[in-house]
Amino acid sequence: MKTKLLIGLLASLVSTALFAADSPPVGSTAPDISATDSKGKTQTLSQYKGKYVVLEWFNPECPFVKKHYGSGNMQKLQEEFTGKGVVWLTIDSSAPGLDGNLTAEQANQRIAEWKAHSTAFLLDPDGKAGRTYAAKNTPHMFVINPEGKIVYEGAIDSKATANPADIASSNNYVKAALDESLAGKTITTPSSRPYGCSVKYK
Amino acid sequence: MIAWRRRAPAFFAALLLIGLHCAALAQTYEGRELVHASLVADSSAIVAGKPFTVGLLLRMAPNWHTYWKFPGDAGIPTEMKWNLPPGWKVGEIQWPIPLILKEPGDILIYGYHDEVLLLQEVTPPVSLTESTIKLSAEATWLVCEKICIPGSAKLQIELPVATQNASANDELFARYRRALPQNWPAGKVASASWKRNGAELQLTVESAALANYPVAEFFPLPEGNLVVGHPKTERGAGGRIDFRVPIETKDPKLASLNGVVVFGQDENGAGRNAWSLDRNAAAAATVAAPSGSLAKFLLFGFLGGFILNLMPCVLPVISLKIFGFIQHAGQDRRRILRSGLAFIAGIFAWFIGLALLLIILKSAGREITWAFQFTNPYFVLFMSAVVLVFALNLFGVFEISLPQSANRGLLAWTAREGEAGSFFQGVFATVLATPCTAPFLGTALGFAFTQSGWMIFVMFVAIAAGMSSPYLLLSAQPAWLRLLPKPGDWMLRVKQLMGFLLLATLLFLLWVLGAERGIEAVIWTACFLLALSVACWMKGAFLVPTASFATRALVLVLMLALVLASGFYFIGAKFNATTLVTGDSQTQGDWRAFTPERLQAELDQGHTVFVDFTAAWCLTCKFNEAAVLESSAVHDAFQRRGIVKFKADWTNADPAITKILKQFGRPGVPMYVLYPAGKSPILFPELLTQSIILDKLETISPDVAAK
Repeated sequence: MKTKLLIGLLASLVSTALFAADSPPVGSTAPDISATDSKGKTQTLSQYKGKYVVLEWFNPECPFVKKHYGSGNMQKLQEEFTGKGVVWLTIDSSAPGLDGNLTAEQANQRIAEWKAHSTAFLLDPDGKAGRTYAAKNTPHMFVINPEGKIVYEGAIDSKATANPADIASSNNYVKAALDESLAGKTITTPSSRPYGCSVKYK
Repeated sequence: MIAWRRRAPAFFAALLLIGLHCAALAQTYEGRELVHASLVADSSAIVAGKPFTVGLLLRMAPNWHTYWKFPGDAGIPTEMKWNLPPGWKVGEIQWPIPLILKEPGDILIYGYHDEVLLLQEVTPPVSLTESTIKLSAEATWLVCEKICIPGSAKLQIELPVATQNASANDELFARYRRALPQNWPAGKVASASWKRNGAELQLTVESAALANYPVAEFFPLPEGNLVVGHPKTERGAGGRIDFRVPIETKDPKLASLNGVVVFGQDENGAGRNAWSLDRNAAAAATVAAPSGSLAKFLLFGFLGGFILNLMPCVLPVISLKIFGFIQHAGQDRRRILRSGLAFIAGIFAWFIGLALLLIILKSAGREITWAFQFTNPYFVLFMSAVVLVFALNLFGVFEISLPQSANRGLLAWTAREGEAGSFFQGVFATVLATPCTAPFLGTALGFAFTQSGWMIFVMFVAIAAGMSSPYLLLSAQPAWLRLLPKPGDWMLRVKQLMGFLLLATLLFLLWVLGAERGIEAVIWTACFLLALSVACWMKGAFLVPTASFATRALVLVLMLALVLASGFYFIGAKFNATTLVTGDSQTQGDWRAFTPERLQAELDQGHTVFVDFTAAWCLTCKFNEAAVLESSAVHDAFQRRGIVKFKADWTNADPAITKILKQFGRPGVPMYVLYPAGKSPILFPELLTQSIILDKLETISPDVAAK
């Protein structure tokens, strides 16, 4: 993993896991999360204050996730935006025993195989981070600005299918939100209906 | 991709399945059959031009589910891509009420377990040359349990082409048709209103019927990228239920959603029912629902009744009544009053009779409307005969009066035949009035028809009072009769002229019959009317007091024989054998025949649609169509904006159209509705002008060509 950022081991305040029915709305302050990554380090959202952060909910068994990794679409986005100083956190909230649950070792193996370029791969087997954001889909995407506000949440793109052939003709909302934010423009689509498999919580 | 094969052989198998164009209909996963897909039809054969229903039958392995039109927090709805020959049409998927499925993490989805049948109406073209037809479609779905696997199948169904068909797969289709959400019921059963409270939409349903069910839920059908949270149900007093739906949208004006209100004994239980809430219809119903005090509507009824006197279908009869007054001017006041009151009694008798009939029909669960009797061809036939006989009387063909007094014929209708004559004149005038809807009347009746039987009764009394008010005044204040012209020979000429006006009315009635039953029905009716005319002439020529009793008896027998024989032959046999004309065949030019499904299909594609709700017997409709809708200015304006035009023909009282009229709070036609793409529909007044239409069109979409 060619991460450019060092990750501190500082434990930050663990935010209360809100069991919210719905995701925190666009424009609201992004709640903090804390989880151990596949390298054994503790990752928090608050440590990245001052940077754009992307949260990506992940499940390697889900055909919608495979659509974007199998085609290289997700890796391309990760590479492009981490290259521009954006922090990209991939989060796996599948509970142990359920589909998509990965140990740190399995996660690292998967990252290597799929040539993922995210900043860190967070393991969230108790679903604490996932529930904080009411992440319901894989992939389910959030973009957080340097002030710590949510500026985009929803689907990765405009075509809710599992067919990789649809990627070329779809509008990638995450890319658009980041491009527009980085250029100082207003985000055209700040929210969309996420699509994918349900997150496998316990 | 290669890495996956090692890592996730299961996925590889699943991917293969997506691309696999095999004839096998089963989706298998790790050696298990997950979904079995097939196409079934509700018809044994295809009949040219006759729509039938095809269903996609999905059978899922235990615990696996596929998704509803709105999948909820995760998942993808099942899709159908049809590959149909040219000229074939297929309707939207009709989705049975889904189950609510909950997963850990507050994830809520709408889907189907075990088995589901997704229905679609298929319309073949009007001519088919093949002997069998193979229809093919590609179904794609997502099936999930712990994990999700996309599936697809290329499916075919082959049916013979025939001139007749029998139903097929009855039990299956009946079961799933029962599980379809129904249209939103009449306002009296359940009312719905929307309110936006910031990031929440509130749907308030008032329904005593729903109060009986322990479970009532709102399943949203959000459009586009609208994000909706989980609706919550709050029960209030007196059958009031609030459904609160969290939403996330940039549009501050968004104030309603499509969806279905599902109710039953328990969540996901068998025997649940659902009412579909169409955002457009609901919004329109709230806009158009008559509001105001009871007094206002009664006043409208009274005014409408008064204006009825001036409508072209009533004028000939009314003018005769006025003649009666002129004739009697200066005569005994009491006699004038008596005759006037008898006429008024006739008006009241008809309206009260009509009100009672409507109340009985309504309590029997029938949809009721103004002028409903004109949807019955036999009523129109009867009216044609009455109008003709009356016209012949005005022409003097069978006046009983003595030749030297031209005015005696009029007297026969008024004074000589006394109060009974006046009474039936009143009834007759009112019967003729029904195909006309006067201004104000539509609003007043639209209100009354949604109310109790008692209210309908009171409203009809108000209309009768309005219609009879001029005669009441003239009868009570004969001094005012001086304002009318003096009697004289001119009255004979006017009377004959009125005869022609009646013949014009007859032409209209015959045209209505033609629209209802076709050209043959008109010809057989005309044959009968000819025989009837001859009978009238026989009465006028031979059935006179100077003739001997034997002659009179013979003439009477011949007359009766003529009328009865022609009645039996032309009407009983020939007319009876003609069949209803369907709406489709009447549509001309660039107007398409209306069905609710077709409207929905156009709206779903984002088109703006204009619907002309009309009937052959509706004079106001015909006037509006000729003077406004078919005018080149309006025609071009529609065309330039690419507005889809539908004609909803209510001549034969199509119940689907009645339902829509009721949604807009209208008792009958004419009704004109513009459904702008993605916005609430706009209801036009009953009497159109070009500028009303053009101005409205300008507000919904600017004229592209004009720029």
